[in-house]
Amino acid sequence: MKLQLTVDRVLILVLCIAAWQFCSMQWGLHWFSSPLKTTNRTIELLGNGDLLYHTAYTAKAALYGFLVGGIPGLLLPFALRRSPVVNAILDPYLAAGYGVPKLALAPLFVLWFGIDLEPKVALVASLVSFLVFFSTMAGVQAVNGQYVNMARVAGASERDIARHIVWPGAIPYAFAGFRIAAPYSIGGAVVGELISSNRGLGYMIQAGATDFDTTTVFVSLFTLTIIVVIINWLVANLERWLLRWRPRTGAGASWVPGA
Amino acid sequence: MNATATPTLEVRGLSKRFPPRSGQAEAPWILADLSFAVAQNELLTMVGPSGAGKTTLLNIICQVDAATGGEVQFEGQTMRLGNGTLNPGWDCRFGYVTQDDNLLPWRTLIDNVTFPLRVQGKLNDQTMARVTELMKTVNLVGFERYYPHELSGGMRKRASLIRTLAYDPPIILMDEPFGAVDAQTRTQLQQDLLRLWNLGRKTIIFVTHDIGEAIALGDRVLVLSRSPAKVVAEHRINIKRPRDLSNVYKLEGFGDMYETVRKELL
Repeated sequence: MKLQLTVDRVLILVLCIAAWQFCSMQWGLHWFSSPLKTTNRTIELLGNGDLLYHTAYTAKAALYGFLVGGIPGLLLPFALRRSPVVNAILDPYLAAGYGVPKLALAPLFVLWFGIDLEPKVALVASLVSFLVFFSTMAGVQAVNGQYVNMARVAGASERDIARHIVWPGAIPYAFAGFRIAAPYSIGGAVVGELISSNRGLGYMIQAGATDFDTTTVFVSLFTLTIIVVIINWLVANLERWLLRWRPRTGAGASWVPGA
Repeated sequence: MNATATPTLEVRGLSKRFPPRSGQAEAPWILADLSFAVAQNELLTMVGPSGAGKTTLLNIICQVDAATGGEVQFEGQTMRLGNGTLNPGWDCRFGYVTQDDNLLPWRTLIDNVTFPLRVQGKLNDQTMARVTELMKTVNLVGFERYYPHELSGGMRKRASLIRTLAYDPPIILMDEPFGAVDAQTRTQLQQDLLRLWNLGRKTIIFVTHDIGEAIALGDRVLVLSRSPAKVVAEHRINIKRPRDLSNVYKLEGFGDMYETVRKELL
């Protein structure tokens, strides 16, 4: 069974590579590069350290942005829970903020923060914060009132309730946000680099395309894909560990591609 | 044990209705002018039809929910039952075992049982020894590190029961705590409850819709009417303790009492 699965998966990989090879033979290396060329270029770029350099830059922008946006997005719902009035006042503004197409802000961030890491971090943070905020908020609002009553009767303070009931109950929701936000953070960093940068995988794509160097574009795309897969895997495992109290299947069980 | 002579808890003229729904001029009364008293260390059972307002009554006594009128006195002190002045559990004087076990799914069994002690800052060697004792009494030893979803319904009920007993509140309210389990488990749980109650007598108000359960467990049974709930009858249960619940139906006086209460409930 397990072996069959692996064989089938490898078969699909082989088919994809064959199709790619066919395209490059049919329409020319110029447009499609080729599997062999891309592999060779990858080895070359790995060897001279270029690939690692650009990957690290993009990963750094994504990670910083994820933290700068994700931490407030995670904590703000807990603050707002304590003050329903402030929550009611802010609600339409948060909804409007969520509605702003963040990628359209990229040129503005370039104007404000220059062309180094900062505008990419800002772009990623603006994407991630709303995603994490709204899913965590849903978790905070879905707190089980019966648990809260039980805790109050048992002598729990508001702080105990926030810590022992609202927080653990909201964690699965927060992770729903993280799972969506994680690939977005890489995407945001790349878009930031496409617009203006002299480093990063987005820059590699941009530079490659400008030079009609499709091989470099493909190398960058594969690298990005691998990064996103690794991030998804990390988030899924962190989640599995944090939520080990949950039954493995059933309502609310999380679905993560590739995990 | 004379309830009227030394009442530890007294409910007087309690009434409750929820705010009217839209399109409704007046909401129906859930409780109207309900009065009764409970003696120190008495196990009082209340039996009433589904929807009689039993849960609402316990919610009010526990100060989880506000009353519309009437008053409740506990050990001579009058509780403030209005909206905004509620103090759930009244500083841990009231234990409350609800219909659902309300075990926190993200905590292990032992962490759930010790939860009240932890938040009250009373978790120490002495209370931990008490918890261990309770765990033994209800056969939960060996399952300390299990999460609630890994336990059977009966085990979860027992855990929720000893979670309240662990911090030793002077009075405990129980709202059909054994409702959603099979008959055999139920008898076992009832027996566990009586055993625990015998170990350290305390005042218990046990609410149920099961006539047999009310008679088998109680010192005294109050029969409630349909909503708005009123006490329609009161019976002292003179079945000798300790009671063997595995053949409670054979106990002297059980059958007649059952018939009487059944007719009163109609």
